[in-house]
Amino acid sequence: MIAPPPEGHPALRASKLSVRRGGATLVAVDDLALYGGEVHVLLGPNGAGKSTLLRALNGLEQADGELVFDGRPIRTYGGRLALRRGTAAVFQKPHLLNTTVQANVESGLRLRGVDRAEARQRAAAALDLLGVARLAARRPVQLSGGEAQRVSIARALAVDPAVLFLDEPLASLDPPTRRALVDDLLRIFERSAMAVIWVTHDRDEALAVGDRVSFLERGRIVQTGPAAHVFAHPASTAVADFLGLDTYLEGVIVNDPDGATRLRLPSGVDIACGEAPDGPAAACLPPEDVVLFSGPPPDHSTSLRNVLPGMVKAVKPSGRLLHVVVVSGPLEIAALVTRAAVEELGLTVGEPVVAAFKASAVHPIPRQDRRRP
Amino acid sequence: MQLIWEGFVEALRLLLGGDGALYQIALRSLWVSGLALAGAVVLGVPLGGAVALTSFPGRRLLVTVINTGMAAPPVVVGLLVALFLTRTGPLGELRLLYSNWAMVIAQVIIALPIVTGLSLAALQQLDLGLRQQIAALGANRLQAFFFQMREVRVALLAAVMAAFGGVISEVGAVMMVGGNIAGQTQVLTGAIVQETRMGRFANAIALAVILVALAFSANLMLTIIQQQGRRP
Repeated sequence: MIAPPPEGHPALRASKLSVRRGGATLVAVDDLALYGGEVHVLLGPNGAGKSTLLRALNGLEQADGELVFDGRPIRTYGGRLALRRGTAAVFQKPHLLNTTVQANVESGLRLRGVDRAEARQRAAAALDLLGVARLAARRPVQLSGGEAQRVSIARALAVDPAVLFLDEPLASLDPPTRRALVDDLLRIFERSAMAVIWVTHDRDEALAVGDRVSFLERGRIVQTGPAAHVFAHPASTAVADFLGLDTYLEGVIVNDPDGATRLRLPSGVDIACGEAPDGPAAACLPPEDVVLFSGPPPDHSTSLRNVLPGMVKAVKPSGRLLHVVVVSGPLEIAALVTRAAVEELGLTVGEPVVAAFKASAVHPIPRQDRRRP
Repeated sequence: MQLIWEGFVEALRLLLGGDGALYQIALRSLWVSGLALAGAVVLGVPLGGAVALTSFPGRRLLVTVINTGMAAPPVVVGLLVALFLTRTGPLGELRLLYSNWAMVIAQVIIALPIVTGLSLAALQQLDLGLRQQIAALGANRLQAFFFQMREVRVALLAAVMAAFGGVISEVGAVMMVGGNIAGQTQVLTGAIVQETRMGRFANAIALAVILVALAFSANLMLTIIQQQGRRP
């Protein structure tokens, strides 16, 4: 089932938007709508045109087609300026101006004609929101990568944008810094009515932050939908290849008193999984971690905590291996096995089979259950 | 050695004694070169910015012309200005030859390519992503221009320093179009040439001390401004 798009008017809508350069079409998007209160992830491989599309959406790149911002079509230079002033952008690099942090965060406001006193106050509030108020008097050279990116985000949020454009905002940060920033951003977005469009090529990031995901391939959006839906039902082999052949699982994390962590699926099936806090979560099960048996697994493989009997639904070649899809109740589990194993187990479509995998093969990613205001 | 020593002592006496003619020449130098520098900055910085931030056919040629102009010999500039301002020249009716204004014009022409070329180079070095970020911050074209100027302010100051150094110490053009007329169009460099030729070494040394002091203090002032934004 595909969830309907959000109600109400989109903050920004692009129709038949295309960017051409030197005879080549870099981006051609039929329809893309960004709604307030929603994080829309643009996911795709490098070179798919994600950043170009983002620049076209905020008026930095000359594009053909229709762009409607705040109910008004954007056609002229003045229109594009109004679009840029109604929105804000954060790129992979913080791109801070060579002045103090405080003046950096005030800069967007000053460009919009906000008076000095109000700009100072709003900049201080934005710095506080990102937890970097103590850095106000510093200069960019005195900041770490994570601090600089927080300042850049504070500068974007200070102008109270209707749409926030994020172009791989975490790509140059180390994993712990990245995780802390994701948590803070989700907390901020949760309380905000702005539309967020977030470009990434990292599927875990997409899964962690996205309400909706648009998958971009060679400049075209090949699939749009709620993040969970896109991950569970890739619309094309290209999407599936990028997301991996992983089995997508979504449910609620339940931590037992004895220390075991389980992901409870909507069907009621419990999957033993890696550590995660209680709450909604999604997980990908890599197919190479799934072991197939013709009957119950032998006793010595007790580390295979998840044992799911089912039936072979499909067997397809995948490189030198075979990609086997096993149906177990409402679940579809993908496994990658050798040709020899397929012959030995007699895996043909319709035959019974047992799929097993370790708890540690399942890495749950907590998902904020955000509601649009 | 005796000659040099006596020259220095006499020069010191002239400087401390407040020799009127000496300081008049120094003031004229400052006035001519200062005005020429101001003109070159007003014209050259926006021109360099425009060339750096836009693309148009013939841009490469223009950049080459500007870069060549940075190394133009002052005597050639002096010759060109003299040709235009001479009685029978295209601008002869203005009767500017052998006036202070003729020297200002010549020095603007010497300083302009330096200011333009160095501003252009400074702005071109600016990260493309930062330019994009400035636009994304909501800057219109003019605001974006000023933001970018502010980002490269240190390099722009260096351009101003280089241009000032070029014109204050230049002797060929000012003598050709100013005429080196004592009390009227004589500036420090021309006066040093004249005093040396006439064997009045003390006067020449005193003038040279003022010239070096002027160049030094102007550069010191700019350096102080330049280093203010530096990380402690």
